[in-house]
Amino acid sequence: MSKLTDDYGTFVSKLQRIAAERCQPLSGTFELTGRCNHACSMCYISRPVSDSAAIVRELSADIWIEIARQAKDEGMLFLLLTGGEIFVLPDFFEIYRPLTGMGFLISLYTNATLVTDSIADKLAETPPHRIEVSLYGANTRTYETVTRVPGSFKRCMKGIEALVKRDINVGLKATITRQNVDELDAMQKMARHWGLPFTASWLLTRRADGMPSEIEECRLTPSEAIAIEASDPYAVEEWCGGGVVSKTDNFYCQAGRASFVIDFTGAMNVCSDFPAPGAKVPDIGFRKAWEELRRFVEGAPKLSAECLDCDVIKYCAICPAWSYLENGKMAGSVDYLCSIAHERKKRYESQK
Amino acid sequence: MIRKESFLLQTVGGENLLVPVGAQVMDTNGIITLNETAAFIWDLLEKDCTIDDLAAAIADRFEVTMEQAVSDVRSFVDKLDQNGLLE
Repeated sequence: MSKLTDDYGTFVSKLQRIAAERCQPLSGTFELTGRCNHACSMCYISRPVSDSAAIVRELSADIWIEIARQAKDEGMLFLLLTGGEIFVLPDFFEIYRPLTGMGFLISLYTNATLVTDSIADKLAETPPHRIEVSLYGANTRTYETVTRVPGSFKRCMKGIEALVKRDINVGLKATITRQNVDELDAMQKMARHWGLPFTASWLLTRRADGMPSEIEECRLTPSEAIAIEASDPYAVEEWCGGGVVSKTDNFYCQAGRASFVIDFTGAMNVCSDFPAPGAKVPDIGFRKAWEELRRFVEGAPKLSAECLDCDVIKYCAICPAWSYLENGKMAGSVDYLCSIAHERKKRYESQK
Repeated sequence: MIRKESFLLQTVGGENLLVPVGAQVMDTNGIITLNETAAFIWDLLEKDCTIDDLAAAIADRFEVTMEQAVSDVRSFVDKLDQNGLLE
């Protein structure tokens, strides 16, 4: 019998590999709502809290719990609850609490601005395995330039404090944009102050629903992005060790093999960035939706000849989702990723 | 002895995983892995069992001597107790 702590990440990767070989839906994401109390210009999903068209399409607690039961029967172990912002849902705990007794390793994504003492108390009664709090800046001005909501920085700090005070397992994850890139170090310092793990992501995707996006004004330049990435030894090792893209598969992640996403309407998709195939779980059941997703992934195009022949492919993160979001087709190069891959090659090959 | 109800046994491939549920997550955040024998004992501990009950079941299932089974069961039960997995 062994308790996994130090080598947890390695063990999870092993489980994912096993699950992918068995086509077991090990990791699920439930996007409980598309609505959020922030209005970040780089967000790929957010809708206003009062969006009545979205509200009427959201699933009830009973339906989410039934989906989870069916997913468990098929082998789901890891469950991420995300939005939008999960705490805009008045019935969040009607969904969450039953899930905590079903044997999943649950993670929550939140901006923490709606986490009051009362909500933190309820979470502490049946805590998730991890809460990842999104961070958009290290001071009021920067944070609220990104979120476009006055008062949101102070509420976020209070929310994090409330969670930390109750010993809930919290991590901070910064979304890096042109507006807050200068505060990356300061955000890391905030995490150290609380003794919390910190991650930063800068690879911003377009909205999956086709609504207008201000992504171009938010994305880092390739040289800015790779300068940040190069400070992460794990990322450098991954890219210098042969990269992530498979020449024989289409999706190099575990989408449709060991993972899935169900959006707030109950549609099962490849990932949060790619709203396909849209198999309606409440109508056809989890198993049939999972089979539809697997067929979709198996039938998706592999790397285009253009990408296969490219001399920076080992430094690229191209996949059908990126091709679709940027170009409307599931194969072919993406200018932003090409620029990043060239920057990686320049940086990492000169380090050898 | 009987196992705590605040853990559920899940399997992925051949891996047996004990996952804490509810408030137990605060004390045991992560997964505990069990080998085949340990998972078998965990299943039996759904009902109140003695060391001898467990050892007899192990000896029968895995074709080991009663003496070896008692030793294995004691060792595993100690670990369960140390990790707070027993009532």
